[in-house]
Amino acid sequence: MLINKELCIGCGLCVPYCPVNAISIKDRKAEIDQDSCTECGTCGRRSIVKCPTSAFYDREDVTKYPRSIRKYFSDPMATHVETKVPGRGTEEIKTNDVTGRVGKGQYGIGIEMGRPSVATSYRDVEKMTMALAKFDIEHEPCNPIKFLFEDEKKGTLTKEALEQRVISTIIEFNVDKDQLIPVLETIMETGKTLDTVFSLDLIARFEDTDKMPEIPDLSGLGLEPRPNSKINLGLGRPLKED
Amino acid sequence: MTHSLHRRGSACSLKEDFVILVTPAVDINHKDSGEKLWKILDIVTEVGPNNIGSYETGTIYTGITIDEIRANMPETPRVRCCFDSKEKMHEVIRRIKEEDLGLSITISGLNEEVLDICQDLDIKPHSVNYSLGVHGATELLPPEEVLELLTMCGHGMISKDLVKKAIDEVKRGRKTPYDAAVMVAQPCVCGIFNVSRAERLLSKYVGQ
Repeated sequence: MLINKELCIGCGLCVPYCPVNAISIKDRKAEIDQDSCTECGTCGRRSIVKCPTSAFYDREDVTKYPRSIRKYFSDPMATHVETKVPGRGTEEIKTNDVTGRVGKGQYGIGIEMGRPSVATSYRDVEKMTMALAKFDIEHEPCNPIKFLFEDEKKGTLTKEALEQRVISTIIEFNVDKDQLIPVLETIMETGKTLDTVFSLDLIARFEDTDKMPEIPDLSGLGLEPRPNSKINLGLGRPLKED
Repeated sequence: MTHSLHRRGSACSLKEDFVILVTPAVDINHKDSGEKLWKILDIVTEVGPNNIGSYETGTIYTGITIDEIRANMPETPRVRCCFDSKEKMHEVIRRIKEEDLGLSITISGLNEEVLDICQDLDIKPHSVNYSLGVHGATELLPPEEVLELLTMCGHGMISKDLVKKAIDEVKRGRKTPYDAAVMVAQPCVCGIFNVSRAERLLSKYVGQ
């Protein structure tokens, strides 16, 4: 996003709205740090920020690769070209009853890099994908991060992607049950090397519908499921049978 | 994505906080799903959500009406909204199940509350996405009282500075907890930010 300096009156109204603190006031004009800006679009939404002079406007290259990576992974009102899914571009558990993405006998793992509140560079994302490469995992084919790999087997990303910064991006894959602990150990160990945070998801299938699916004791890794979760009710049709 | 997962706060503060997402699956059942989505929007509207919006239009807290949300449905439409009572959530699910529309439904909320609704309506839940918390460079996170508000927008559109501003304005008596909650809710463009919960959380700052 850019600011028309001719129009900006330096009121500062927009400054607290930027989720990544990219806006500052210099010489009585608002300025957006282009390296920090994730193109989430919040500052330009007049129904939200209400810039009195409508001084915000899009960069010409905002939907052109590679700047578009920022836009599509940060602005929930933009739909990913590859997956036709808005938000972070993946349906994950939301349609698991009809897609069967996470099957019985498996766990689904989502590593939401940059979330909450911190944002992430793809250099940090690559640290995680490279660390996970030893498990020979297959990244979810309907997640747009799939299109940013230079070499998926090695977990390396394209050089253009590595220069980008986004609000968050989800590393998403399935593991067999016996792989869960070693994979989580690697995730937690790699987490110590990051300059960002990540929220960790664990998807499991219901076996007994009267109680929550059991998962191994993960307290040794400093992991404990929160009391709130997201549950797919199984009302989608056609139901995907395993 | 998992934008309704990872809401922070105590179990007590999350008790009256439910998010429903209705999602047609791309290339499976999204074609001709518009009419079904509109039916669900009718149900949701009649029961009364705390917040509702869409990626295309924004939310009811930014001056958009439900009619405008309906009029701007894309080819692959979605419904996402927030309820601030278990009774309302139960009623919405009951009516959606009765309609047997065949679209995928997820509910985010306290496990015991969602399971209770499922059991009462004879629904067999399919899968769960557990939140295993936040890790990595956690020293970069804002304080917990800021996180419990901003994590109600999982897309990360709410800045920590806006939450701090809201808390400060309530403390100074410049905004009521409700007005501050609406200010914080607005950047969450898809409408899953629970304004009632935010108002309760912000009320503790009155007179401080």
